[in-house]
This record gives sequence, structure tokens and C-alpha cells, in this order.
Amino acid sequence: MPSVLESVTVVEGGRWRRGARRLAVAAARRALRRAGLTPADVDLLVNAGLYHERLLGEPALAALVQDDLGANPDDPHPGGHGTFSFDVADGSCGMLTGLRVADGFLRTGAVDHALVVASDADPGRGLAPGFPFAPVGAAVVCGRGEGTGGIAGFRASTGSPPGPTLTATVAFDGRRNRLTVTRPAGADAAAGALAGDVAGALLADRGLTPDDLDLVVANPLTAEFLGALADRLGVPPARVGRPRDGRPVHTAGLAVALEAAAPAAGLAGRTALLVSGGAGPAAVAALVLP
Amino acid sequence: MLTEVAAEDERGPYRARIAGVGRALPPARLTTAELMRSTRHRTRIDLEHLTGIRERRVATEDDSLGLAVGAARDCLARAGRRAEDVELLVSCSITKYRDGLVHWFEPTTAAAVARAIGAGRAVTFDVANACAGTLTGVAVANNWVRRGEVRCALVVSGERISGLATNAARHVRSIASRELASLTLGDAGAAVLVERAGEGEPGLALAGFTTVAGHSRLCLAAPARREPGARMSTRARAIHRVAIADTPLLLREALDAAGLEVTDLDHVIPHQTSVRAIRTGMRTVAAALGATPRNPPVVTVDRYGNTASTTHVVALVEELDAGRLRAGDRVALVALASGLEIGVVLFTVDPCLEACRAVRP
Repeated sequence: MPSVLESVTVVEGGRWRRGARRLAVAAARRALRRAGLTPADVDLLVNAGLYHERLLGEPALAALVQDDLGANPDDPHPGGHGTFSFDVADGSCGMLTGLRVADGFLRTGAVDHALVVASDADPGRGLAPGFPFAPVGAAVVCGRGEGTGGIAGFRASTGSPPGPTLTATVAFDGRRNRLTVTRPAGADAAAGALAGDVAGALLADRGLTPDDLDLVVANPLTAEFLGALADRLGVPPARVGRPRDGRPVHTAGLAVALEAAAPAAGLAGRTALLVSGGAGPAAVAALVLP
Repeated sequence: MLTEVAAEDERGPYRARIAGVGRALPPARLTTAELMRSTRHRTRIDLEHLTGIRERRVATEDDSLGLAVGAARDCLARAGRRAEDVELLVSCSITKYRDGLVHWFEPTTAAAVARAIGAGRAVTFDVANACAGTLTGVAVANNWVRRGEVRCALVVSGERISGLATNAARHVRSIASRELASLTLGDAGAAVLVERAGEGEPGLALAGFTTVAGHSRLCLAAPARREPGARMSTRARAIHRVAIADTPLLLREALDAAGLEVTDLDHVIPHQTSVRAIRTGMRTVAAALGATPRNPPVVTVDRYGNTASTTHVVALVEELDAGRLRAGDRVALVALASGLEIGVVLFTVDPCLEACRAVRP
């Protein structure tokens, strides 16, 4: 049975709430409320965000989000429910990869409800001078569908040979550790072209063409990426989304695009392509059927 | 507990098996005595007595990526599989160092490993779940194989994590230091090949995990502010208390879900933190469940230290090479990690895995 996206929320960092963990928690609370669920209903919590407070390497940020949400944080007891939390990392494709992992556990019946969060913000403490991404958090609640509609399948690819790509590293500069994000010219275009190929292959798997799509939801929302994606898919640029002004949104970008493309009706009853491209280059695409 | 049992129904028509394991151990050894002589402060700590760790391996040339690639190649060679057959490659390490102590957030380590070994058609991404990372990756791979999404998945981890011990040696003053646990760390690479089992093969019976997030702040690691690499703050006694309290119940739940008794287990491989913690933990499990597995818990921490997300595979390879794991043996891998993550993977050794035993010259 395909899994379905029950709710999607985005929280933009304001003046007082810029930390990535808090953005993820705020988005998760809202997404659960919209889906008519409580934190205790979450069986699986996957975080796909990368840049959070202090750039903690362990535990998984998902565990801290679970604790802050109050999603079954207590010691296990007989008849208890429990939540399993961990992180996936796949750059700006992370949210789709997180959805793919969650979809797998939903399909086998291992979980009833999964929460996928993604957020990035300046990690603070002078770790990331000139941090390039907008502080945004997002959350998606997924559940098991009852009919045939929902996420029909995924495809992913890592570019070979590798092209120009975004890189993000933490290194010691002689005085302190610093995060450096580089975004060379042509990186988004290479990711967009790969994303177009992956999306085209996914549609072909199902005997579909871009003309069959009601909606294309793409991330990142940069002109370079969207232009290359549209070009490779053979559709007018307007069909894959409008570039977003200001600093780019990173791992939460797919949810931003989803909110912009389908604010009220969501994906119900529509054929939609969700597609992301990012560092590697790498690309992931998902097909949602009505 | 999120539990995935091999049921072979329409939702998961296939069964997965662990078809191969491999590891990469750096040749350089650092004894606990040598490490404790390097501390900046006079600590008066007998770490070897406290933990049972005599020595650990430290990478002098390899980084996290190199260790992961080395383990992946070892695994494929032992299992007799080609990199081109790998359809999913998940990297699960805490450390993601390349080119020395440069931690790479993007692109993923998984993509770099796939490229290095020639797994060109594999779907790649990283999983992060502290020391439970590799078993979390195995749980994801098990799920994908069970559904038929892929036939062959490779889960890898390269932990060049001894730099945390180097940093801790500058700061530890007494046995109460929250960086004491960092002194137990050692370097290693690990790889697990998860693939579709043949008809009637027992394979991977269960993967069950839960996160007791109320204890998520007991162990935190992050890039150091004024030193290369990272530092870790651990409230080891508190973690030990929670593990002792919660593991028996969760192990019971996992065994019940798989229809097994603790006496059905031939081998238990717990996360390797210290000899004392492992033995106390198993005594508690035995008291709570009223029985013991057929063999004492596997201990490798004395030789390799705590190699983070790679400990279970380092121990599995050790047991296979020593001829102590035989086809038909039932094995429980028990994860315990910052988060606080508790997980159990139950599987039966099949002939293919037993054949992964290295032939000694």
C-alpha cells in the first residue's frame, strides 16, 4: 500500500528563533497538529537536516527533536509505544531520501506514522562565517494510504563522472574549526540536469511523460537548477517552479516548494513529481499518483 | 520499538540475509598505558583496569573514507561479490574525515565510497545514528531487500575517531571527567553485505530499534572549538544505568516478536564500550530473562577499544575468522548508542557468511 503525505509545514527562522533544532521542532509540532496526530503517535522520526546547533555529530539530531517534541521520550515499559529516531544525510536531496526511507518502513507495516524533518541554520559559535543558507525548518507527516493513491515510487542517481558540485566541510584553520560551503558555478545546473534525467527515467518506469503531471515540486529553487531541470525534462521553465529570492533554502527546500505549489489542496487527487538535486551531483525523484 | 520481522507476506515478500562482512583495521596499535602517559594532567586513572581495554588501533594514514573503502573491498572479496552488483550503499559513520581531519558534510561519504569501489549504479546516502549507525543502516537495507526494492545492499562505516582520544588526553584531569569515555575510542572500518536470501534460508529474522530520547543529552560530540577534530562529552555512568534498566525489556520484546527464547541464541555481540560494562549488562539480562544465551557475550573491546559504529562488525569478523561462528548459529547484535538508541538485529549465520572466513596463510 503506497504511503501518503498527510501534512507538510514550513517554519522560517525569525529574529529570535533561528536555531535549526528549534525550527525542526516547531515545524514538526505544526505538521502533527495539521495531520490530527500527537507526538506520541510518531513511530519513526527521520531528520534530513544538516547544519544545526554546534554541528553536533552525535547523537542524531532526530533524537533531540524527539525529546523536545515529547514523542515517547520515556524509558520503555510493557505495552509502551516507542519512537525510533535517526538522521539521513543526502544534501538537498535529504528530505526526499528521508521520505524514501520512511516510505519503506510504512510499506512493510513496521510503522503507522513517520515524521520527516529537515532544517538548517547558522550553527553559531562562529563555526560558519558567511553561512549561505536561509534558516528554515520543515516537517512532513507520512502515513499508510488506504487506496492506491500516494507515493508510487522513487529513483535516485549519483552523477558519474562527477561534475561541478557544492561541497561543505569542517576543517581546522590553525585557530578554530570552521564550516566552509562552496557553491561553484555550474553546480546547480549539473544537479538540475541529473535531476531531469532521474525524473525522466522515473516517469518512463511508469509509462508516463511530463505532460501527464499535474505538478512538479523541485528543490533547490534556484534559477540555475530549475532551468537545467526544465530543459532536461523538456517542459517550459514555469512548470517546475519559480526561483526563490534571497538566500537559498537547503534541506527544507522541498517542503518550501511543496507549500508554494500546493498550499491548500495538497497532493490529493493529483499526479505529482517531487524532485531534488544536490551535492555530488546527486538527484532523487518521487512520483505521487492520485 | 520499531520492529521489522521477516514475515514473507505481500508487504515484505522477501527475506534478507547477511551475506558478507568485512573490516579494515589500521596496523598501528596504541596501548592504554601509552595513551595515559600522553595525558597533559597527572590523572591517576587506571583506565585499563576500569575498562579492560589493553590497546586500540589508530589510523596514521587512513581517514574515515579510507577505512570505509577498505572494509567495503574486504567484504566484497570475502563474499565473492562484485561492486557492480551493489544497488544500495549506505554509509553510517559518525566521523566523515577525508584528507586528514577535514569532516565532509557534502557530498555524502556513501557516494565517495561507491565511486572508490566502482559501485556505479548504487543508490547512495548517509545515515547518522551515533554508535548504532551501522545497525541502523542494516535495518534500512533489510527493509529495502524485504520489499524487493533492491537485491543487494552494502552498509559501510569508517571511523577514524581516535582523534577524540587525542583531544581528551589534553583535558581529562580525573575519573569524573566527561571526556573519559573518549579515551576508550579506536579506529576501524566495517562493511556488511545484505542481500535477498534464497528460498527457505533463515537469514535476518528481526531488526528492532527504539530511541529513549529522554536521555538524548547524555553523550554529545561536536567539532572542537580550538583544536582539530572533535570532542565528546559523555555521562558514562548515567548511560550505563539506563542501558542496564532498559535493555532486558527490549531484548525480551525483540525475542518475543521473533518467536525465540534467549536460550535459542548462540552468540550475543553487544556494542563494545568496556569489558566490565558488557559483563554487567549480560548478567542483568540473564537475571531479568531467567536464562542465558549458549555462549558468553563476545568481547573484542580489550583489543580494539570502542570503535564506535563499527564495533559489531569488527567483532563479527573476529568470530568468523576464529571459526567460532558456524552456519546455523543464531546471533543477536545489540546496539547501544547516544540518543539513547537501543537496537537488536537477530540473524542466523548461513553458509555464505560462514564462507566469508578469511583463509589464514
